[in-house]
Amino acid sequence: MRKLYISTILYNAGKFALRVFALSLLVFTISRLAPGDPLYAYYGDRVEKMSVAQQEQARERLGLNEPLFIQYTRWLQGAFRGDFGISYQYKTDVKEVIAARIGNTLILGGLGFLLIFSLALWLGLFCAWREDRAADRIICRIGTVTSCVPEFWMSLLLLLVFAVWLDWLPGSGAYSVGKERDAADRAAHLILPLAVVVLGHLWYYAFQVRNRLLEEVRADYVLLARMKGLGGKQVLYRHCLQGALPSYLSMMAVAFPHILGGTYVVETVFSYPGIGTLAYESARYQDYNLLMVVSLLTGTVVIFCNMLARTVSGRIDPRTRVQGFTGGGEVGDF
Amino acid sequence: MKKKFPVLSFIFLTGIVMFCFACGSLMTKDPLYMDLAHCNEAPGKEFLFGTDTMGRDIFSMISYGGRISLTIGILATLLSTILAVLAGSVSGCASARIDGFLMGLTELFLSVPGLLLTVFLQAVFGRANVYSLSVVIGLTGWMSMAKVVRTEVLQLKHTDYVLAAKCLGGGFFHVLFRHLAPNFFPSVLFIAVMNVRNAIVAESTLSFMGLGLPVEEVSWGSILSLSKNALLSHSWWIIVIPGVFLVGTLLCLTNLGNYMRGNANRRHSNLGCRKYD
Amino acid sequence: MNLLEVENLSVSFYRPEGEIEAVKNVSFSLGEGEILAVMGETGCGKSVLCKSILKLLPDIAKIKTGRIVVRGEEITDYTEKQMRKLRGSFFSMVFQNPMTALNPCMSVGEQIVEAVRLRQPGLSGRERKQRAEELMYRVGLDHPRERAKQYPFQLSGGMAQRCVIAIALAAQPSVLFADEATTALDVTVQAQILDLFLELRKTMGMSIVLVTHNPGVAAGAADRVALMKDGELTGIGDVEEIFEEIIHKHNFI
Repeated sequence: MRKLYISTILYNAGKFALRVFALSLLVFTISRLAPGDPLYAYYGDRVEKMSVAQQEQARERLGLNEPLFIQYTRWLQGAFRGDFGISYQYKTDVKEVIAARIGNTLILGGLGFLLIFSLALWLGLFCAWREDRAADRIICRIGTVTSCVPEFWMSLLLLLVFAVWLDWLPGSGAYSVGKERDAADRAAHLILPLAVVVLGHLWYYAFQVRNRLLEEVRADYVLLARMKGLGGKQVLYRHCLQGALPSYLSMMAVAFPHILGGTYVVETVFSYPGIGTLAYESARYQDYNLLMVVSLLTGTVVIFCNMLARTVSGRIDPRTRVQGFTGGGEVGDF
Repeated sequence: MKKKFPVLSFIFLTGIVMFCFACGSLMTKDPLYMDLAHCNEAPGKEFLFGTDTMGRDIFSMISYGGRISLTIGILATLLSTILAVLAGSVSGCASARIDGFLMGLTELFLSVPGLLLTVFLQAVFGRANVYSLSVVIGLTGWMSMAKVVRTEVLQLKHTDYVLAAKCLGGGFFHVLFRHLAPNFFPSVLFIAVMNVRNAIVAESTLSFMGLGLPVEEVSWGSILSLSKNALLSHSWWIIVIPGVFLVGTLLCLTNLGNYMRGNANRRHSNLGCRKYD
Repeated sequence: MNLLEVENLSVSFYRPEGEIEAVKNVSFSLGEGEILAVMGETGCGKSVLCKSILKLLPDIAKIKTGRIVVRGEEITDYTEKQMRKLRGSFFSMVFQNPMTALNPCMSVGEQIVEAVRLRQPGLSGRERKQRAEELMYRVGLDHPRERAKQYPFQLSGGMAQRCVIAIALAAQPSVLFADEATTALDVTVQAQILDLFLELRKTMGMSIVLVTHNPGVAAGAADRVALMKDGELTGIGDVEEIFEEIIHKHNFI
């Protein structure tokens, strides 16, 4: 049994590595096929001041004239040593640029994710319980309207109201100048971006929970459970939730990169120093080294979360967990 | 329970579409003309919705820019629908291996946050214009419809009632239009309408962030890209008014889409009398 | 005194399109230890009749007129809370499709234990399990301990139905409603389940309302038969009487 477990882990790790490898190949090819001279990625505007001979020399030195495949292996070798090249825009090691910002994104995205995860479950349960009553209808209505508000505009609106008109909350950055270690100050900076992240995603997932539960509530087993003497609410919490939970958990695992992706827009509007602003800047200024690593990083999270989602739903749902014998076979000396 | 037709949404949407596509005769000013003498002016008689930080008339810009936003929405949806129908039907008809590959690809596309994919593709395409932006957005929006189409195509092969219709002598097109289309048309139409919505959101977000259309090319997104300056000068109209048009359009599209999705579930909850708990 | 008495019961569904009368002016009574078969075509309102007595119908269905009397006490206007007490102890029900009636995400053991816990809250965890195994044994499930760990999808239809019956028995009911309890099963299994009902009546002395569209089932197990058509009760009486009448009316033979 234990051996089986280890081999499963190894198998999955192998699959994961293979997928990340394929992703890196894809991203590399696309970024090299892109218009714009990769020389700029290394020298920036100085390229324009170079002579043609100098440019050619630089190309030769950087190996840009070699076939794509050789370039890729070289990049891969560097990547294994932890060398992802230099960010053209920041003029420093890509790794450092990312390391300086990833914490901020994880705080914003992670907190947002936790809030969405718990609130969506709660809201979904509440709406399913109050199906078609006033409260449910109002919440669904608000949800529909909010889901139509693009995140960037919601950010602008909140900024306009809370940062400009009321002047209650700071509107940009992750902390005020000179207050880098002040937790309260950081929290204040987090409120508005976090609100947008949560409001932007909450309804969709709450709807999913609600609809899934409404399907469960229509199943026959609800009647049997009530026949036992359980009340409606107990049936909802003990029985229906159990049926909806596996798909919810796997949905939320897939949702994690999406919510992180959602923070990217928000970060940009609030000038919040995270991976999102980095992705945006690197795309805008064609900083390919940086763009590649950011894409790769996001892609890796996506791949990991997808695999996690599959495992999670497989482990929790008895219908997929218990395999081997199906149908009314004999238990016998099992 | 037949859903009610969202009359209000329909009227409002028609109004907006007419307002945008008849911009030539409705515009009071040239939307591209930067009237530097009238920067940042609040809504008033001369400038109905005020002017932006570059002195352009917002009323005319909304009308003119809406046309571009809607065009991108429709072009992108056309592209994504074609891709979806192709991918879905090939996947449904072809061998298990090709089907597996295509569906794997679909899942892959689905799992990447859409906006990031768009940003990446747009960066690859270089400087954006209406068409390149439509292509990029279309390329990122075909997945969910492809899945629906695939399921329906699989049904085409397998369901009993299709078999029954065939046994009664129904030709391929008879079966397709009389039996299958009524089943999957609502869901495909719903996704198509939602795709228009998503494409408009994507366009405006990208343009707002400066990755889509440039400021000079007016669309609902690029109007809003100036709103960061507007925040500093407290010019709320630059942010609120174009945004209201944007959100209003999206909301109408959503309502129409939901209506098209078909009728609500007729079964009733088994939870029973919940007022006593 | 009769165990259950239904007088002039009418039940309607109120849909947006209008009112639909599912049960019209039905009266019958059920004695101690009696098996009453309610027979009729599919969709004639048999199932709605049972569910309306148990108040298991969706919110849009309402009892329009009539009285439901249990051991001399009227329960027509009972609240959900009062009904809950009655459901777990006095009434119980077995459903048509055991595969959908069992929660697919819970092992059958857990589901039986839950029913035991609700009926006998005083028992300890181990006692509950023991009681559940006892019940499983009683309804004819072999190896109850291993069987309890299985999930519904691992069982055959007949075994799943036995589990549902075990859950129903956990309530130690006086009246058991069997709503097409044998319809979804193979013919041989049908006979086994019917035998089980007869045996349970003998050993536990409970009354059973057997809802079915199958005359064979009604004739084989019931003491009395009630005939339903389009929501109305068209006849009620001893098995011989009713079948005599049917044969007469339809010129069989």
